[in-house]
Amino acid sequence: MSKSLVAQLPTGPAEPAQRVPTDWTTGAMQGRIRRRYAAERRFRLMGLAAVTLSAGFLAFLLATMLWQGIGGFTETRVTVPVDLGAAKLAVTPAQLDGRGADLALAGAGLEGIVDTSASRAYGKDGDNLLSGGAWLTVREAIKADPSLLTRRATFDLPVASPIDVAYKGKGAPEAEAMVARLTPRGVLSRSLNTGFLDSADSTDPTRVGIWGAFKGSLLTMLVTLLLAFPIGVLSALYLEEYAPRNRWTDIIEVSINNLAAVPSIIFGLLGLAVFLGTFGLPRSAPIVGGLTLALMTMPVIVIAGRNAIKAVPPSIRDAALGVGASPIQVVFHHVLPLALPGILTGTIIGMARALGETAPLLLIGMRAFIAAPPRGLTDPATVLPVQIFLWSDQVDRGFVEKTSAAIIALLVFLLAMNGLAIYLRNRFETRW
Amino acid sequence: MPATALLFILVGLSLIGWLTARARAARFKVAGQRFSSLPGHFGWYVALWTIVPPLIFLAIWSTVAPALVTDAVLSTPAAAQLPPPGFDRAAILSEARELGAGRAYGAFHGLARLLAPAYAAAQDRYDWIATAAALLLAFAGGAFAWTRSKPGFAARTRVERIVMGALLAASLIAILTTIGIVLSLVWEAGRFFQVVPVHEFLFGTHWSPQVIDARDPGASLGAVPLFWGTFFIGAVIAMIVAIPFGLMSAIYLTQYAAPRTRRWMKPILEVLAGVPTVVYGYFAALTVAPAVRDLAVAMGISWASSESALAAGLVMGVMIIPFVSSMADDSLAAVPSSMRDGSLAMGATSSETIRKVMLPAALPGVVGGVLLAISRAVGETMIVVMAASGVATLTLNPFASTTTVTRQIVDLLTGEAEFDSPKTLAAFALGLTLFVVTLLLNIVALTVVKKYREAYE
Repeated sequence: MSKSLVAQLPTGPAEPAQRVPTDWTTGAMQGRIRRRYAAERRFRLMGLAAVTLSAGFLAFLLATMLWQGIGGFTETRVTVPVDLGAAKLAVTPAQLDGRGADLALAGAGLEGIVDTSASRAYGKDGDNLLSGGAWLTVREAIKADPSLLTRRATFDLPVASPIDVAYKGKGAPEAEAMVARLTPRGVLSRSLNTGFLDSADSTDPTRVGIWGAFKGSLLTMLVTLLLAFPIGVLSALYLEEYAPRNRWTDIIEVSINNLAAVPSIIFGLLGLAVFLGTFGLPRSAPIVGGLTLALMTMPVIVIAGRNAIKAVPPSIRDAALGVGASPIQVVFHHVLPLALPGILTGTIIGMARALGETAPLLLIGMRAFIAAPPRGLTDPATVLPVQIFLWSDQVDRGFVEKTSAAIIALLVFLLAMNGLAIYLRNRFETRW
Repeated sequence: MPATALLFILVGLSLIGWLTARARAARFKVAGQRFSSLPGHFGWYVALWTIVPPLIFLAIWSTVAPALVTDAVLSTPAAAQLPPPGFDRAAILSEARELGAGRAYGAFHGLARLLAPAYAAAQDRYDWIATAAALLLAFAGGAFAWTRSKPGFAARTRVERIVMGALLAASLIAILTTIGIVLSLVWEAGRFFQVVPVHEFLFGTHWSPQVIDARDPGASLGAVPLFWGTFFIGAVIAMIVAIPFGLMSAIYLTQYAAPRTRRWMKPILEVLAGVPTVVYGYFAALTVAPAVRDLAVAMGISWASSESALAAGLVMGVMIIPFVSSMADDSLAAVPSSMRDGSLAMGATSSETIRKVMLPAALPGVVGGVLLAISRAVGETMIVVMAASGVATLTLNPFASTTTVTRQIVDLLTGEAEFDSPKTLAAFALGLTLFVVTLLLNIVALTVVKKYREAYE
């Protein structure tokens, strides 16, 4: 018999050949094993590297946004002495009480006085130092304390965007020079930018805020939730509990699964052609955005809802039917309450996706410059992701940190929503 | 009366109906007889009859009312001065409507100020008619249901029939949406193809919608460069990133990692898919694109674009990693463990088992997952809007600027063009192409995955 590595099949009645065991101690064999083990280690390392790098991308992305955006929540202020007593504003105390106070103070030339004070304190380009909205801070202070009108006071006023950028990091040469001149005098300071959280869009980066866009997002999400949640849950119940197996049901299922995979921009085209074109709803309105996003979110809720309903054991249905409940009672008294945590989890995830969605809303016109928060569902509005997109297009360098700050706000919100979804799942999900 | 107030009144009426009908039904007693319906069913029966008819009426009314109001205004003497039907007339009327409703304070056309009171009056009159009719319907419906609620009346069957109808209607919305998408895309694209021949659009290699020759619009609306750019960014560059990373992550997390690591790392990777695309777009434009350009310049490509295909594709690939990873995860999990155990028992190392046994067995599932990922990458918009270029070029160079279908849709529809220009309609033709391609990719992917699942069941 020849020495073969492969065991020979027994042929005929003859005794099977004795196979010589592999000699694992030879150099060749040891080398092969070493190579195979090295390949094993390499492969494993590649896997580890893929996971680490993917997580690293995420960490890098988040760190970049945090690094650039955290400054957006603060603003630079400069101390300016304003002698309102000497300026003798033509404003009576009675005017400061009513609703005309803003108009009265503006008409009396408060803005000019603040600018002059800045020039007097910091040289002839001192008025370039202040943000366009700096005098508003003085105005609010006067409204809160009318006695300021009769004396000299110092205010911490927000600086113009170039100075702000230069003070926080690297800015234009002139602004850098100004900051270098002012810093030794100790008049520059940083404080929390509350305006960023409670005002709307503006052309001046020191005066922009996310509240307008955020309110638009809230209104849009409200419409989306009110439409997508009931429709999604009801159709999940129908498909999972009542639908007869026939062609119509198949068509419904196929369209829901396809809708879940349609690119979001297609929903924007639908919204543009149907809601704006055919129905003539107003452009840029939260109601149109909400309708469009509802159509996009509904399939997600249906799919999550069906999985949650499927997980409710049939014995519960049988028991309810057995004690005489009607099919509707079985579902609404027993199956739905048990499936609700799962449905809610899916809904929150779908809503989080809708909250971060930008493309369809661009197409239905929610990209206009809107300087006031919307007051209703038909007012022109923008939403947080679109606001981020609009700011990212701005040339002014002051907008860079505002964009990243808005991104931080958006991510915090999404994180909170997903955290809530995970909490709900862990807290209420029952394993049968 | 404001619409919200009317709604509140209707809801209140139906609540009263519910309470009273329920209380009344609770006192129904017929000796020796048991009813099929609980008191609550009678309550619902009356409540639904109270609120549903007026709501249906109001829905129909809201589509008819504007025309009625306009008719009333046109019959006033002041309307005789209106210009003949056309753009001016519509503008004046809409201004007058806004003034009359108190939503605007100034008017461009003097005539609008004259017509505004007529509008306000007509609107007011028809609003009162609608309110009265709605309330009348609510009372009539409630009374009808009330008189029918007698002992032995099968209120439960009626209510459940309505609930069933609502369930069916809700599930038909999905079909309606699909039909709406298809119809609106086909309709608008059809109007586009009346101006531009299909073959010029699909096979033309020159795309510059900024300057459209009115005599031959098809010459500058050839979409091949867009299709190529979309394919290049979404299916080539993004997949070069996403497939190795996604696949290797899935392999590591399912085959090697400790359960504890897996429990932590899987959600972290899934966060990558949850980050809004506008954030990726900003990241691509601000951080990745300049880095890619600097790299290209360092490599000696001095003309490298800062809106390169590579930057957009790389970031898109990172976004897609979790999709590929979770699809690969599922298909690896579906491979019967006997195959894995057999291979290990023969002395193969883990990596040999994975590469030579499990991956070939899981291949159809992985391929399906990759197709789904491609369909998602092709439809992705914000990254390419923010990081890719708007200039259509046919190029193989990843450092050159390329544009995509989605980017062009956004560019075409956010300009100042009119709704009927070939430029705007071209966006719908692109949308239709995108819809068809993603649909086909999904169908193919799902068929592949389904066949593969059946093979092991």
